[in-house]
Amino acid sequence: MRYDSITEAIGNTPLVRIDPAVHGLRNIDLYAKLEMLNPFGSVKDRPAWHMARSHLEAATGGDGTLVELSSGNTAKALALLAGMHGVRFKSVTNRMRVPEIKELLLLIGAEIEELPGRSECLDPTDTDDPLTHFHRALSDPGSTYLHTDQYFNPRNVEAHAEGTGPEIVKDLDGRAPDWFIACVGTAGSSTGVAKVLREHDPRVRVLGLVAHKSDFIPGIRTIDEVHEVGLFDPATYDTIESVTSDEAIDGMITLIRRCGLLSGPTGGAAYQGTVRQLRYADGELDGTGQRRTAVFIVCDRAESYLGYVRQRRPELLGRTAQERSATAVTDAEARAEARVIGVDDARRWSAEGDPRPLVVDLRSPHAYAALHIEGSVNIVDEVFEDLLRGGLPFSKRTPVLLACPVGEKSLRYAAALKRMGHPDARSLDGGIIAWRDAGAPLVRE
Amino acid sequence: MDAPLYLRPRVDPPLAALLSDRPFLHSLVDVLGSPLNVLLPDAVAENVARFRAVYGRHHLTGRVYFAHKANRSSALLRRLAAEDPAAVGVDVASVDELRHALGCGFTGDRIMATGPKDAAFLWLAARVGATVSLDSPGELERLSGLLRAHGLGRIAVLVRLSGFEYTSGPGGAGTRLLSRRSRFGTPLRDTDALLSALERNAETVEFVGAAYHLDTTGVEEKARALEQCVLFMDECRARGLAPRALDIGGGFGVGYVAEAEEWGRWTTALTEAVLGVRPPLTWRGHGYGLRNEGGTVRGAAALYPAYRPTAGPGYLDELLSLPAPVLGRPPASLLLEHLHDLHIEPGRSLVDQCGLSLARVLDVRPVDTGSGQYLVQLAMNAGDMSLEEHGVLVDPVLLPRGEAAPGDGEPVGVYLAGNLCLEGDLITRRLVFLPRLPRAGDLLAFVNTVGYAMDFRAHHAQRQPVARTVAVERRGESWHWCPDEDYWPITPVGEQSDEV
Ligand SMILES: Cc1ncc(COP(=O)(O)O)c(C=O)c1O
Repeated sequence: MRYDSITEAIGNTPLVRIDPAVHGLRNIDLYAKLEMLNPFGSVKDRPAWHMARSHLEAATGGDGTLVELSSGNTAKALALLAGMHGVRFKSVTNRMRVPEIKELLLLIGAEIEELPGRSECLDPTDTDDPLTHFHRALSDPGSTYLHTDQYFNPRNVEAHAEGTGPEIVKDLDGRAPDWFIACVGTAGSSTGVAKVLREHDPRVRVLGLVAHKSDFIPGIRTIDEVHEVGLFDPATYDTIESVTSDEAIDGMITLIRRCGLLSGPTGGAAYQGTVRQLRYADGELDGTGQRRTAVFIVCDRAESYLGYVRQRRPELLGRTAQERSATAVTDAEARAEARVIGVDDARRWSAEGDPRPLVVDLRSPHAYAALHIEGSVNIVDEVFEDLLRGGLPFSKRTPVLLACPVGEKSLRYAAALKRMGHPDARSLDGGIIAWRDAGAPLVRE
Repeated sequence: MDAPLYLRPRVDPPLAALLSDRPFLHSLVDVLGSPLNVLLPDAVAENVARFRAVYGRHHLTGRVYFAHKANRSSALLRRLAAEDPAAVGVDVASVDELRHALGCGFTGDRIMATGPKDAAFLWLAARVGATVSLDSPGELERLSGLLRAHGLGRIAVLVRLSGFEYTSGPGGAGTRLLSRRSRFGTPLRDTDALLSALERNAETVEFVGAAYHLDTTGVEEKARALEQCVLFMDECRARGLAPRALDIGGGFGVGYVAEAEEWGRWTTALTEAVLGVRPPLTWRGHGYGLRNEGGTVRGAAALYPAYRPTAGPGYLDELLSLPAPVLGRPPASLLLEHLHDLHIEPGRSLVDQCGLSLARVLDVRPVDTGSGQYLVQLAMNAGDMSLEEHGVLVDPVLLPRGEAAPGDGEPVGVYLAGNLCLEGDLITRRLVFLPRLPRAGDLLAFVNTVGYAMDFRAHHAQRQPVARTVAVERRGESWHWCPDEDYWPITPVGEQSDEV
């Protein structure tokens, strides 16, 4: 395979059979359309290129900016395509809730504008939501923005009607599957594919999956939100069902751990929703000797959603409630074991002690730079924790005065140092705040 | 009729007990008339304690300033005045609120003056030693001029900042969190003039810190603003100033509706009604800002998010625990490590569960034959109960006058009309479901209306009476009451003060 441009690698993705031992359907062959194997990593590569191509090929590196309301995959594809053509890309969204995706977009060179949250004190006469505002700015006569408008642009649907749909039919030897299942984000893939499949066989059943109303699955919409999508037509779907984020993650884990498919949450949602929906139909087929086929779409890959998984199911990433390692000292133990010293004594000690104590300020460097005890060193608590894991970081002959904001963290570290054999580590009672309140001097750098 | 779509209110214990004493509430309205506002002053103190617990958990010092604009009551203010002066203050936004706060027992040093200020407001604030939250360099100059002209002492000021939009990262790529435009405060990028003015007027004003109040439910925006204020205060320190307090305003929110499911069902139904796939849920198909454009819903629902999983103290806790975008540490650590006091100005959330508004049913009649819907006319108007004004959707609780007769229990959809002779005088434009049809003489209790809904817009229109307000207190098995203006936190409610 030799290409002149990465854009030629868009489309022609594999259709892979899911092992019946995994899904447990006895009479239905289940296939995954692996859109995650598009070059930029998702099903959105197709519409992004199809919507932007003519604009980008016309733009001769000028100062145009491509804009899209996208929180993820469309933005990723458009940003890469824009970059290849010397055009800027800006994503405007209020759905950017997955930090890795945000950082990936920044790496690609996108600008991100996040829309503000809703008003706390409502003005019901103001129906001017941020999005309306945004659309108005785009249609300004002087604006140099190119808006791909994925939620309303028919070329989004067309990309799938010309690519994804026919590819599925071709790989099923010219037949349409009996069921087609897709998650609904912009409705582009489900609408485009459904159209083609129905042209082949009007009996195809189409299942659209949305997120449970009070839940969040990155990339797809809730049952209310789909009504805000211009491409969404309820008539496209025979059934619309909702899935929870838990189901999405369950499905994703099955695809990853049992099928070797490194799918993201919407692929997982599609798989889980498919199996849930088809289990009944499968039972009905028992003993009839008939076989059916179903196809679902795996939209994108797992890597960008580690934070999402970490937040919802930390145990999948081998995390348990973090215990305090070096400072495996309880509050009660710290209070019982640590030495404390009041501000007045500490002032005298640090001025006249023989030897003088090393004063360690455990706050962040920024706070330390703003104001600190003269002569203190700054070791931020997280770093200090790591240091202790490696062993005692000070000579036993050097007395240590530990200081944090209120004397709580320093108490625990003083106890930890004592346990590690340090003879004279003391915690500043009441911390830097007590120091300040006593009128003791603080300096800044 | 479709299954009734309820939006039943969240009712916590003290208010729940009050609601269950129907004879007491009926007797109050019999004596004092409808509409009537009933307040639980002790509940406001409990809310303070919950906010203080969040402070405690994060080791933070500073004050909870009640945003007076949320409610006019004297009882609430006096109850708050009796709390620890170091912990509780009041935020006033007009000269009358300031006078009221002073009259309720707040000393000047516990008062924060915010909002638009005329000369009288500035003078009285300065006279009593209140802290003034300044909106602009111009306001600072006016205040300084006034202090000099009248030989007044040096007063503490905060500077209110706005415009926290910023671009991270050089050369195009980066993120910008847009924020809602505010009429108040000095944009962060224009603070140079403000700082020079503070330095120039150092002998009249003592600069004690920065402030913001963002009208948004988004915690990320607030965390970002908080961090930028900390960075700003650092710059101030570098210039030799010594600010030590950060006031992050109010807007911590209230959950009005008890069940997420009910809220979810209702809002979905609203979208469907706007799209025309189900019958309207509102008077004349009002869409609360949503509109149907060729089968697609456009616009944003102008509704308060009435079901909120975290609100009030929980929201503050969440905000303080969020990682900050630039320095990485959560806001609580930032404040603590930079030795800053945290001030907050909760309005609505501090008076959460502190009272209810009662209205008597005057008349009940079918909207039209066959619709199954009724128009319930109340002795109250949309000014007494500005739920619509604030986009708050929550059901009233029906308090029948007598015992319900058997067979009375059919749920029914009603529109609540006010007592003004105006087509537009609806208490809510939403079709409200009640467990049965009310009768003339029954009461409807609007729960949790103390924050903004109760008396924010109340006025004498068409010579209808404005609601009277009473404070109530439970002693043993019975409730006692007194007029709001007669409440003092040192006297049992309903007894003479000279007995103490
Ligand atoms: C400066 C200021 N502080 C506090 C508040 C109170 O906010 P809330 O009632 O939402 O807590 C407001 C409300 O508008 C305000 O403008």
